[in-house]
Amino acid sequence: MAEITVLSSLTENGGDPFAPRGRRRRSFPVWRWLILIAAGVYFLLPLYAALRFAGLSGFKDVFTTPGFLPSLWLSIRLAIATWLVTMVIMIPTTVYVHLRMPRMRRLLETVTILPIVIPPVVLIIGVLQIAPLALRASPWLLPLEYVILALPFAYRALDAGLRSIDVKTLSEASNSLGGGWLTTLWRVIMPNIGTAVVSSTILIVAMVLGEFTMASLDLQQTFPVWIVLFDQENAQISVAASLFALGVTWVFLMLITIIATRQSRRIGGGEVSLFAVAPRQTIGN
Amino acid sequence: MTANAANETTPAALPSTGVAGIAGTPGARGTSVSLLNLTRVFGSTRALDQMSLEIAPGEFVALLGPSGCGKTTALRIVAGFERADSGQVLVDDKDVSRVAANRRDMGMVFQSYSLFPNMNALGNVAFGLKMRKLSAAEVRKRSAELLDMVGLSVQARQFPHQLSGGQQQRVALARALAIEPRVLLLDEPLSALDAKVRLQLREQIRTLQQRLGITTLFVTHDQEEALSMADRVGVMKDGRLEQVADPTELYSRPATAFVAEFVGTMNRIPGELGTGVVTVLGVTVDVRPGGPTSGPVDALVRPENLTVAVAEGGNGIVTNLTFLGSTTRVAVLLSEDTEVSVDVPSTTAAAMTPGTAVQVALPPTPVLIAPRAR
Repeated sequence: MAEITVLSSLTENGGDPFAPRGRRRRSFPVWRWLILIAAGVYFLLPLYAALRFAGLSGFKDVFTTPGFLPSLWLSIRLAIATWLVTMVIMIPTTVYVHLRMPRMRRLLETVTILPIVIPPVVLIIGVLQIAPLALRASPWLLPLEYVILALPFAYRALDAGLRSIDVKTLSEASNSLGGGWLTTLWRVIMPNIGTAVVSSTILIVAMVLGEFTMASLDLQQTFPVWIVLFDQENAQISVAASLFALGVTWVFLMLITIIATRQSRRIGGGEVSLFAVAPRQTIGN
Repeated sequence: MTANAANETTPAALPSTGVAGIAGTPGARGTSVSLLNLTRVFGSTRALDQMSLEIAPGEFVALLGPSGCGKTTALRIVAGFERADSGQVLVDDKDVSRVAANRRDMGMVFQSYSLFPNMNALGNVAFGLKMRKLSAAEVRKRSAELLDMVGLSVQARQFPHQLSGGQQQRVALARALAIEPRVLLLDEPLSALDAKVRLQLREQIRTLQQRLGITTLFVTHDQEEALSMADRVGVMKDGRLEQVADPTELYSRPATAFVAEFVGTMNRIPGELGTGVVTVLGVTVDVRPGGPTSGPVDALVRPENLTVAVAEGGNGIVTNLTFLGSTTRVAVLLSEDTEVSVDVPSTTAAAMTPGTAVQVALPPTPVLIAPRAR
């Protein structure tokens, strides 16, 4: 019986019983293929339908259509402003909570999830009631509101990033070498949570480029608002514009993911992905 | 073993010229440190209780004690990472208790790997120098010299994740020394390393400390590290220093039963207390000052201070032998379920197999006594 076992293992490993396991062909059961194909069809079929509907002419005309570029440019500016305000507020806050008030982490987690529970329409109506007159119907009210919407994404990504490093020891090491609070934040902590910052950037950009409710109630013609309005005039161009924006966003996000992953791997971090920050590699003793 | 672990080397010899502005004769750069009546309370726990300690310029003092005894809290207060509820920290007789950590000018090596992951070894060492606004050329030169001093010039461009644990701690040591700190603080820097690397780094730290003459406070729970590296060792218990002495005195003349039992191996043998004397194993010996004056007591005797010989009808029976190289530790069961350990030359121990009747005796020298353990 033992002989049979040995022989079968020799055959499996191409005659080498000590061959690494990775050299074996990994099996991929049929049911996995079925799920993969079903998911692919579910996601890609609407895109294909939209592509067919828009046609080549839709894509040709989209750039010359009035309102397309200004609305896209407004959304991009809003995304940048939202990202900036979110990072300025959330990075020091999250780091401070990690360092000085670790018990408050759960509370912060609960607070930051509120924007998911409260509908955007409720938020914007409340804000419009109390916002200073100069800010009402101004595009610069939107980043301040989007920051609230971005909190759940930003906090979770940054929290995951900070948990992947020993913030306390790194901060103290920097302090003992003469680094002040800002230097420590800028030169020690920020570069080591780059992956988390990129993850939250991706989420914030995607969120802002797709937000409709707040923008329309604030009377701003952002890109999603323009698409909805223009859809009544020319649906083909509207769909082409959506697909174009989707493509541009996707390429942009892929680019920063690739760059961030390359940077992260250089310093021993893992692949950049949403929420998940791979643990650092260590060599041991 | 990884490739990097295989490269784990201690530099054969330290550079003769040393680092510019750092090297000097032992004691030349020393700074005195005084901890005066430090008290720190966390909730219901008194981490430090009126702790006082004087460290002379250029001295290497180790704080030794079990977990939770307050040694790390004391170090963190000196570093400026914690504030004492009361008491003072003086550096060269100047009160630094309210000075921020980044202005205290103290180099620290941490227990966990603390290298900045986004910087290579050279960048890590250069960090503190850049904070001191040195010119780029000076930063490069001195960082390279420091890395050379810890034997890691070849690894200068490697990032922390590409270095072994021992190499990372050596870079951390170079980084702490690069800023020419007034005091070097070591928070169990060897505890995460394997035995061989720990031994190498231990020797290297001691050599560098002696060479640079830098005042050093070292925290450890490992008595072997403390005794082999420090000029003086402070044994802590419940936030207080039980005894501060040089390693020889600490081992041979412990001030309290706690120190006696925490440092090295100690036998507890029941004794009969008289006036200034105690009768142990049929021998009456003087009692050292300190300890109880009445009630049931145990005499505290080290394994090497007892003698044992094969004797038919002796007072004990050999139960176990542990070979330690030149000596063998013989476990002997005495009457009343008391077991003692006795160190004997391994050549003598050959005659003592388990079950052999032996006579354990106590030399007529003063012993330390403690209330009898239940």
